Amino acid sequence: MSRVRELVGVAFKGLFARKVRTALLLLGPTIGVAAIIAAVGLTDSAKGDLKRKVAELGTNLIEASAASSFGSQNPTLPADAVDRARTVIDVQDVSQVVELSDIVVAPYEEATSNFETVPVPVVASDSVLPQVLKVPLISGRWLNDFDEQSGSRTAVIGIGLAREFDYLPGEVRSILLNGLEYAVVGVLDEVELEPAFDNAVFIPFSAADVDFVDGDILPNKLYVRAREGTEDVTAEALKVAVNLGGPDEVQTELKSEALQLASQSDRQLQLIVVSMGLLAIIVGGIGIANVMSISVIQRSSEIGIRRALGHTRSTIAWQFILEAIVVGVLGGILGVTLGVVAIAVGVSVAGWVFTLQTFLVPAGIALAVVISVFAGLYPAVRASRLEPLETLRLG
Amino acid sequence: MRAADAVLDDTPTEGALRPLLELVGVSRVYGSADAEVTALRDVSLRIMPGDFLSIMGPSGSGKSTMLGLLGCLDLPTTGVIRVGGHEVTAMADHERSRVRGEQIGFVFQQFHLIPHLDALGNVETALLYRGLRARERRERALAALDQVGLAHRHDHRPVQLSGGEQQRVALARALVTEPKIVLGDEPTGALDSKNAENVMAMFASLQAPQRAIVLVTHDPNVGEAAERRIRMRDGEIVADERRGPR
Repeated sequence: MSRVRELVGVAFKGLFARKVRTALLLLGPTIGVAAIIAAVGLTDSAKGDLKRKVAELGTNLIEASAASSFGSQNPTLPADAVDRARTVIDVQDVSQVVELSDIVVAPYEEATSNFETVPVPVVASDSVLPQVLKVPLISGRWLNDFDEQSGSRTAVIGIGLAREFDYLPGEVRSILLNGLEYAVVGVLDEVELEPAFDNAVFIPFSAADVDFVDGDILPNKLYVRAREGTEDVTAEALKVAVNLGGPDEVQTELKSEALQLASQSDRQLQLIVVSMGLLAIIVGGIGIANVMSISVIQRSSEIGIRRALGHTRSTIAWQFILEAIVVGVLGGILGVTLGVVAIAVGVSVAGWVFTLQTFLVPAGIALAVVISVFAGLYPAVRASRLEPLETLRLG
Repeated sequence: MRAADAVLDDTPTEGALRPLLELVGVSRVYGSADAEVTALRDVSLRIMPGDFLSIMGPSGSGKSTMLGLLGCLDLPTTGVIRVGGHEVTAMADHERSRVRGEQIGFVFQQFHLIPHLDALGNVETALLYRGLRARERRERALAALDQVGLAHRHDHRPVQLSGGEQQRVALARALVTEPKIVLGDEPTGALDSKNAENVMAMFASLQAPQRAIVLVTHDPNVGEAAERRIRMRDGEIVADERRGPR
């Protein structure tokens, strides 16, 4: 142990004594690691906002909707669809909705004719939809159990609709659904995974049943949160669990699939720039081998005297390998720092979101060390093979 | 017992002392078969504790080869070398390195200080990889520098020291390990006469009953200072004279 400490001390002194040469040695690993870190970081950061959104919204939202089978006009799910969905083992949360059709939505009566031609989706929803979608309300509240049980005409509107109707947060306001006045109790924030909801009106099942549905109201769509990582299997299982014995088929869709796809970094570009970085670090390694080989010749007298003082061949070899390790570690740290600075500058110029996979920091340093040690092996072995008698030029 | 040993055993033994360094029938041949140069021809020599010995001879007489062999820096083509009774010629390289580090201190004509280390660092280099604590290493190195009168310049690098001072640092480096054998290779060759005298006085003061001092030189002034003088010519010892201290 003390031998290692002494070797490290000798290596440090050797490196600090020749600062210009050490700077030259550091150049290769520093530039190589910086290039790789910057390449991966910048290509990731370009999609950073999307990546963050994916992380925020989760990749585990599944939509299960009734599919029209032959001859059926308005396909529906069984009344107990939520309970059926919950029987699937990896299901964490379920919300059910009914997308109602042919309802004219207007901010006030005089405007009805103006809005007749603009279809606004009206959705009957349960009380947990925002929770399952992980979307907050930007004002007011969501539909609650009281609204459901009392059958009151309450509504929550999407943010797009709120803007269109010049709704002010907290304003006491109502909207007309087929001329029936519904009280607006809240505004739902932007729904990334279901953009249609931004312009929708949400009302309780009970009111929808009374006002707009002939016969019993049945859900036609479920939003399901599955345990992270099980979404594919869960989506398949839901088809069977929800549909079994019902009249219509069930289609499932992973809502964040498109977003996930869009958030993927440009792999090809990344590959090209990383290969160039690797090339830089290999050239840097050859540089290290070169400079250290020359240094072995220059320091042959030092090596000779160390051997005369009793240092063994392996100690001499380790001395040079440790110099290479120190160069690798320092070069790696410098390279990572430089790379991070490059990403930060690029991000602030382009207005991206800073993204750096944390494993790249230790990986970058490790790469620099491996290359440096590899490059230092040959000079180290040469140094250890020097005969003290030949280097000391005796009397 | 080998023949060579038997021959040596016939020579008068110096009391009950065992030799510190022993060459038995040593030859050293350089070059390949078609261009052989015999630098040392069947040389036997015993260096005893307390010896203050000089090896003199013109260039080409084999004294540099002798120095390399005495310092365990080189191996003979034939013959046996023992240090403290251990057969160096049968040792692996790393064992020979340890013998050098523990038994032998070198002082070279060109000083051979490590340029990027200060005086203290140079002396400490001789104490590395021995399991010593940093503090102990430093204290011993400082004591050795004090012994040569350079403790106050311990933080000076070789370029900041005069030739005489550099040679004294080298001497401190040779002494710090408390070697049994101090080997000097033309130790005054690169010094002016005043510094040379100074360094020679230091060598003389190093004489101790358990230690041997060996100076390889072609300078008669240095050679004459020793108590035992060995003269070499054409790879052979031609004289081995002894004389009491002046």
